[in-house]
Amino acid sequence: MNRQDLQTIIYAEKAKEQNNKYKHKLCVCCGAGCISSGSEEVLKKLQEEVVTRGLESEVEVIATGCMGPCNQGPLIKFLPEYTIYQKVDCSNIKDIIQRQLIEKKPIEDLLLFADSRPKPFIDAQEDPYYKKQMKIALKNCGHINPERIEDYLVHDGYQALDKVLFQMSPEEVIAEIKQSRMRGRGGAGYPTGLKWESVYKYVSPQKYVICNGDEGDPGAFMDRSVLEGNPHRVLEGMSIAAYAVGATKGFAYIRGEYPLAIKRFELAIKQAKKLGVLGNNILGTEFSFDVEVRIGAGAFVCGEETALIASIEGKRGTPRPRPPFPAESGLWGKPTLINNVETFAGISPIINNGGEWYSDIGTPKSAGTKVFALAGKINYSGLIEVPMGTTLREIVFDIGGGIQGGGEFKAAQTGGPSGGCIPAEHLDVKMDYESLTSLGSIMGSGGLIVMDQSSDMVDVARYFMEFCMDESCGKCVPCRVGTKMMHDLLQKICEEKGTRIDLERLEELAVYVRECSLCGLGSSAPNPLLSTLRHFRHEYENRILE
Amino acid sequence: MPKISVTIDDKKLDVDVGKTILEVCKENGIEILTMCHLKGLTDVGACRLCLVEIEGVNKLLSACTTKIAANMIIRTKTEKIKRYQRITSELFFAERNHVCSVCVANGKCDLQKLGYKTEMNHIRYPYLFPECNVDTSHPWYVLDHNRCIMCTRCVRACGEVEGAHNWNVMNRGYQVRIISDFDTPWGESVTCTSCGKCVHACPTGAIWPKAIVQGQLEKKPEIIGELVEKRKMNL
Repeated sequence: MNRQDLQTIIYAEKAKEQNNKYKHKLCVCCGAGCISSGSEEVLKKLQEEVVTRGLESEVEVIATGCMGPCNQGPLIKFLPEYTIYQKVDCSNIKDIIQRQLIEKKPIEDLLLFADSRPKPFIDAQEDPYYKKQMKIALKNCGHINPERIEDYLVHDGYQALDKVLFQMSPEEVIAEIKQSRMRGRGGAGYPTGLKWESVYKYVSPQKYVICNGDEGDPGAFMDRSVLEGNPHRVLEGMSIAAYAVGATKGFAYIRGEYPLAIKRFELAIKQAKKLGVLGNNILGTEFSFDVEVRIGAGAFVCGEETALIASIEGKRGTPRPRPPFPAESGLWGKPTLINNVETFAGISPIINNGGEWYSDIGTPKSAGTKVFALAGKINYSGLIEVPMGTTLREIVFDIGGGIQGGGEFKAAQTGGPSGGCIPAEHLDVKMDYESLTSLGSIMGSGGLIVMDQSSDMVDVARYFMEFCMDESCGKCVPCRVGTKMMHDLLQKICEEKGTRIDLERLEELAVYVRECSLCGLGSSAPNPLLSTLRHFRHEYENRILE
Repeated sequence: MPKISVTIDDKKLDVDVGKTILEVCKENGIEILTMCHLKGLTDVGACRLCLVEIEGVNKLLSACTTKIAANMIIRTKTEKIKRYQRITSELFFAERNHVCSVCVANGKCDLQKLGYKTEMNHIRYPYLFPECNVDTSHPWYVLDHNRCIMCTRCVRACGEVEGAHNWNVMNRGYQVRIISDFDTPWGESVTCTSCGKCVHACPTGAIWPKAIVQGQLEKKPEIIGELVEKRKMNL
């Protein structure tokens, strides 16, 4: 298929959308969260109900990706009104259809956040939950059917790929990404444009692009939702990256615990190939790029780029020292670009709207938006996307609806087992890479666990240390033995058997493991311990035997 | 061969390009502690004993895997590095069940030497006392997991030099173990050629020939490197 053929399809799809015979679009969230609370049954019942009432010519019922407030699921959304109903079950479907579509009087008690807002919003976009958000990576999640490439095409899908192939040189693409000041969303925040440029500069007949979807932080599910909700966006980002750095082959490494994401991404690859936006001679040009899915087998360490590469090569998933970085010697020794799912999801908007547009969002050092997965003792847990620099207070209280049961905010844990805890006195911290690092935490991939007074911070540190101890690959001594020793010492302190000497040893080991470990897993494993020691030292002191 | 200037421990040196920091240090008589490094095998940077400080680099890098570059200012014996080496040494000893007095390698063991070199006079961390097997199923050799430090020199000698791939690693974290084939007794291995390279590559008394007693072990780890060099010459 060439460029004209694709445009013809897009025009036809857009015309269909514009001359839409349907007056309403009814979106049913079929992300993994809502599915587990029964949304597939709801979808089936809704389709039946629409047919029974003879509304099938007016109402289009579609399954979409994640809409955000996961713990309120199953969620359904009526467009164009943007009315969202929460906790829908099969028993109230008849009423909802009757009141919403026939009587045009929404059932207020069933609207989104009806149980916690004094008056719920009929147009959910008016709700502070959505008002404070800005969706770039998640833009079409929850609006389109992720299993139909045509839905994506209508929403500017593959327009960015078309643009780079016909109007831009690889150098111009890299310049655009550099201008956007985008930083890698996987955790470390390395400037994406610089990474692309360094892969581009290495001369090699074979280069690779890898999408890191081995999201493993406890409580984090950003990548899963992007892959489930809009897989074509990630695929398009990978293709643009491949064109820019000169790669012809890509791998998407997705963890095995995400069967739905794997299924939808594989379907997306199939559809894209059929349409000629992936595979040989994309859109009739010289550029060819193919993507394969590789499924992770459940090792946290395989999210580390060199371990991930070893895993794709079929070896034991252990990291190796860098340098050389994958940009120089990656998959099978070839220059390799490896970016996170969310990074790739942010590429096509930058190409479509320009790097300057993106760099104007966020803070001077951290541009753009960030997806966070809210979890823990927060009223509205789920997936949000906010501009960089939004304060923690806004996220927890305005968007997240505050603490469950009217409790008191104690700390927020960011960055999972590699991150740290932010105490209440720093609630006004701006969420960007530098501010979080200065507090002893990290941005990480976007997991945000909110804790109230019932959380014991020594136990939190012990839990994350146990996680790192279990997930250490065992290759280097500081991580293999150091995490075990630190865990045992923390256990001892939790049981109120620790002494002041134990605490001293713990601190010494933490610095040693941070500085001596081979990879990021080990060097960041002491972070939860060090940050709780910094902000909640008294909780440790209170447990010490004198 | 083109030369570059570097400074190691305040000593200015002109060295060949393309070498690792460890190779340069060895050639110039600067001692670097190592455990997982063995000449002739691919370096993996796992024991973290050879970490050095490099000016302008914000983290410690392993000398065995880092290529030397022009104008590098390297420090190998700072107080910090010595302290970390001692902790590493202590963690090695605390991790498994090392009892020198009954060990075949007593007096000839690299781990024991490390203890002396890092001036380790006691171990400040609790011994883990893990349950470890001793595999005596091979007709000539013994594998004693109690004494293994997971340097993986046996794994690499077997895979890279002998090409047999008998040894591998299983499990994660502190539960890692060296395995023969798919974790079957060594004596039943279908890949082992009984060449004995792993015996010589092992820095401790974890792999040793049968029919020797305490302190009688004689190992020649240098044969691995010599073998690799000779093969290169034949090519």
